[in-house]
Amino acid sequence: MQTVTLQDLSKTYSGGKEAVKGISLSLEQGEVFGFLGPNGAGKTTTVKLLNGMLAPTSGKCSVMGSDPAREPEKVHAVSGVLTEHARMYDNMTGLQNLVFYAAIFGIPEQEGKKRALFFLEKLELKDAAHQRLAAYSTGMRQRLSLARALIHHPGVLFLDEPTSGLDPESAQNVNRLIRKLAEEEKTTVFLCTHQLRYAQEICTRYGLIDEGRLLAAGTLGELREKAGSGAELRIRAGNISEGMKLPGAAAGRIRQKERKYGKETGTGASEMEYPGNILRIKIRSEEEIPGIVKSIVGAGGDIYEVEVRRPSLEDIYFTLTGKEKERGL
Amino acid sequence: MNQAMAAIIKKDFRGIVSNRRFFTELLIVPLILTIVLPSISLAAVHFAPDDPDILKLLQLLPGGIRGNSLEMTVAGLIFNYILPVFFLMIPVMTASIMSASSFVGEKEKHTLETLFYCPLSVKQIFQAKVLASFLLSMMVSLISFAAMVIVLEVEAVFLMGNLLAPAVNWLVILLLLSPAVSLIAVTLIVRGSARARSVEESQQSAVFLIIPIILLAAGQFTGIMLLNVWILLGISLICVLLAWILLKRAAGRFTYEMLLK
Repeated sequence: MQTVTLQDLSKTYSGGKEAVKGISLSLEQGEVFGFLGPNGAGKTTTVKLLNGMLAPTSGKCSVMGSDPAREPEKVHAVSGVLTEHARMYDNMTGLQNLVFYAAIFGIPEQEGKKRALFFLEKLELKDAAHQRLAAYSTGMRQRLSLARALIHHPGVLFLDEPTSGLDPESAQNVNRLIRKLAEEEKTTVFLCTHQLRYAQEICTRYGLIDEGRLLAAGTLGELREKAGSGAELRIRAGNISEGMKLPGAAAGRIRQKERKYGKETGTGASEMEYPGNILRIKIRSEEEIPGIVKSIVGAGGDIYEVEVRRPSLEDIYFTLTGKEKERGL
Repeated sequence: MNQAMAAIIKKDFRGIVSNRRFFTELLIVPLILTIVLPSISLAAVHFAPDDPDILKLLQLLPGGIRGNSLEMTVAGLIFNYILPVFFLMIPVMTASIMSASSFVGEKEKHTLETLFYCPLSVKQIFQAKVLASFLLSMMVSLISFAAMVIVLEVEAVFLMGNLLAPAVNWLVILLLLSPAVSLIAVTLIVRGSARARSVEESQQSAVFLIIPIILLAAGQFTGIMLLNVWILLGISLICVLLAWILLKRAAGRFTYEMLLK
């Protein structure tokens, strides 16, 4: 079931700034979708469009079947939102804040209190439940905001930089909670962040955005394919002679990488670099590895370590933004 | 009114009560207008010498207004014709303390966006904000009236040996005109607060709403107008109608985008 859809969604602010440019996307129930890009890429604007806080300039979107531009109240009833600018009341305690937001969502006081205490415990805020928010640290406020976004058991959760200001332990705890919500309660999570490594830990699918434009969307495997950056085999070896040839897909001539005035010399795409005793070979599949290892050993080489390195989300992002810029030029 | 709106009203009440500065401001105006000033007036009436000029002036008054003695007539005039105007001033002034910061205060504290993520329309949030300030002003107004009546009647018995008889005006003012004027003022101040960029700006604009009421009070002191109960009733009904239309329409054009700007 599709829970969030965006069709050619665009937003131009009154000052003329095009924050979102024709984004089309759809999210399935229970997935953790990472909406990734640098600050100012259009992530928060997209969240605001999806919650009716902003009206789109063109295109449309829907959350759990409701159009946020026309029926924002219906969207708010089924979604929880955590953004940097959505804060809570300093003059109230953590518990009072949560009970208030529960009441706003139509939850009776006793039930609201029960849920508030549950989330306060889950997010390690139980000891601060009766403290005024003014005494909370940034990390505590962030966790309380997450509890607030979850208090009405939303079907879709919009999280804008959910771990900003959190210490590593709290961040891990938050990640566990988000993953559990998606897996067990089938909550759809729309997670915006500029921390690509963090996103890779938690998301099941990704959308990469830059300057308001969606560069690519898909699973990590799909994005790797789109970016055209395959895996790299790194072999730490000795006794390798320059000019030695390897068979199969990795066929090519080994050369020592040289540096002259900071620039690489030597040409040939099929040539394999061998700087610092590490042989680096681009491969398309794992099946190529045994053949490569055998041929090195057969030619008298010694192998100390074999490692397959797949491109991270960060590598893919930079490859794609680079391509986009080339296209733009 | 639904549960969510009731929650917003309760939260706004808590915000005022927990803020010592706001709470003091809320008590000072009614205390001065309903206890201090009337007590001074009553004492002045009792201890002032019988001036023949004032006697001549009082003889010009309609028969029904004149009391048994000079001091009872003047005390009755103050009680039934001057003090009621204060009950137009008190709700507007108390409400302005809360309503001026209703939207812009939340915006400054970054809590407005969070409030907008709840399943209420902008109109419902607007109405909840108006109702919170209105209910507070009415509560302060009615408590002030009760306190004033107790204090003045005790003083009247001690100083003049008689109770002061409240006129029907009081009923119309307390139950119709004062709530209607208060609702009009609150709606306009909350609307101003939604457009304002800071709490100070909103408070400054709210001050202008009190000017017509101050002029009315001045009119009563100088004797320009001596409103009878029917005129008061007519004015009250017009104000009630105006308040209802304003409350229904004031939030009409607001959008989340406009309010968060």
